[in-house]
Amino acid sequence: MSADEILIGIKCKKCGYLQHSSHVRCIKCKNNTFETIEAKGPCVLLTYTILNAPPMEFRDKKSIALGVVEFENGIKALGQINPIEDLSIGMKLNPEYGKICNNLDGKEVYSYFFSAIK
Amino acid sequence: MNQVAIIGVGHTKFGKLEDKDLMDLLCEASLEAIRDSNTNDKDFDAVYVASMLAETLNYITGVASALVDRIGLLPAAADHIKNGPASGGSAIKNAFYAIASGACDLVLVSGAEKMTHITTPGAVTSAVASMTHHTAERQHGASLPSFAGMMARSYMERYNVPKEWITSIAVKNHRNGLNNPYAHFQKEITLEKAMSSPMIADPLQLYDICPISDGGAALVMCNADIAKKYCDTPILITGLGQATDTHIVYEREDMTVLKALQICSDKAYKMANKTPKDIDVAELHDAFEILEAVESEDIGFFKKGEGAKAAWEGQTEIGGVIPINPSGGLKAKGHPLGATGVAQVVELVWQLRGEAGKRQVSGANTGITCNFGGFGNNIISILVERM
Repeated sequence: MSADEILIGIKCKKCGYLQHSSHVRCIKCKNNTFETIEAKGPCVLLTYTILNAPPMEFRDKKSIALGVVEFENGIKALGQINPIEDLSIGMKLNPEYGKICNNLDGKEVYSYFFSAIK
Repeated sequence: MNQVAIIGVGHTKFGKLEDKDLMDLLCEASLEAIRDSNTNDKDFDAVYVASMLAETLNYITGVASALVDRIGLLPAAADHIKNGPASGGSAIKNAFYAIASGACDLVLVSGAEKMTHITTPGAVTSAVASMTHHTAERQHGASLPSFAGMMARSYMERYNVPKEWITSIAVKNHRNGLNNPYAHFQKEITLEKAMSSPMIADPLQLYDICPISDGGAALVMCNADIAKKYCDTPILITGLGQATDTHIVYEREDMTVLKALQICSDKAYKMANKTPKDIDVAELHDAFEILEAVESEDIGFFKKGEGAKAAWEGQTEIGGVIPINPSGGLKAKGHPLGATGVAQVVELVWQLRGEAGKRQVSGANTGITCNFGGFGNNIISILVERM
């Protein structure tokens, strides 16, 4: 599984609204046919926080940075940002893929996260 | 549609209540509301119980059925209402429509949560975060504090708001809580102390965030036609609205706007034939102090971006232009999830009856609430007036 397989959005074939792939009907027009769109290239950090009291599954780390990003083609995503230092709204990030936590059942969870472009 | 009145209220102490379990809290608040309403030996048509995490944190199911049995209200219809931290508001909504429709005449609403016995670090945060979108947010580490932190950062950047303006809301709410004997914290804090408290969800610090609390609150509601049989000062629910927004927070057009609140409060104002200018007192859902600032805008009191400034200027103090959270709000009064939406209305009833003691808003005749579910994806607003 690659980052591209996970970082996708779906675009409504009727109204063109871009949304998360979990929607089974368009949240704008209720249509149920979509085109899959891949997130491409770097993304921009829209907002972020550094969480010093993370949920239980993330307590192996003292702090995690979480941010909302937007790709050039309009796809948005929320994910962890590594490293957590020197973040600012508007900075460019790259998506990466790897283990993000052990879930409450103890299973390793792999997904996307973001890192600063050096 | 029948008019609906509140004729009795009950409220337990909020805080770390080591000697009381969830059912104790529901019973205590309910019996106090029944006593307050003078309906002691009356049969109730229905009971709505609000508790968000009864199963997860207390391993109890069927709390509504258990409550009617324990407090001698058999065979009243009983339902457990779950809508996250807005469970209380949803329970009141169900009671309202049961009475307004004519299906019921006398209804009890009781909300409670027992949380402070959970000691595993992050366990309560994880339980609460389970209402967020799993694949898009939850599995990446998102929690309610993280959304509030991101909202605060966007708000401060967009509207050029100093952090002190947001934190001043906590100082105001602690000052109000000092005069609320039911509050989790009856203690003033200084802005300096709050601004030097530990960073939790940057830029939000410990004192910008409500505590984890135990507590219960209850209302007795009835058809307004019979309200004066029981009570000299019934309070009417004249407006009520509920609306939803995207489950995935980042799918909203603007993370600093609570669209569900704009819609549901507008419904409540229209139902009551009121405007924000008619409101004398408000209880808003300040689980994080940035929320009180944003909610004060989206409920119609201030223009976008001016809520935190208005709080900093004292406009939301008791005696200000629009007093917000005279109870101390979730920050000082506490936030036992299922109880919160009910407790907000209890405070407004006390305010409108003129029974709020040292935190009384002078001449309060009309009040409104914002009870916030998820991270703003399911919000209820209730407008009350003196009869």
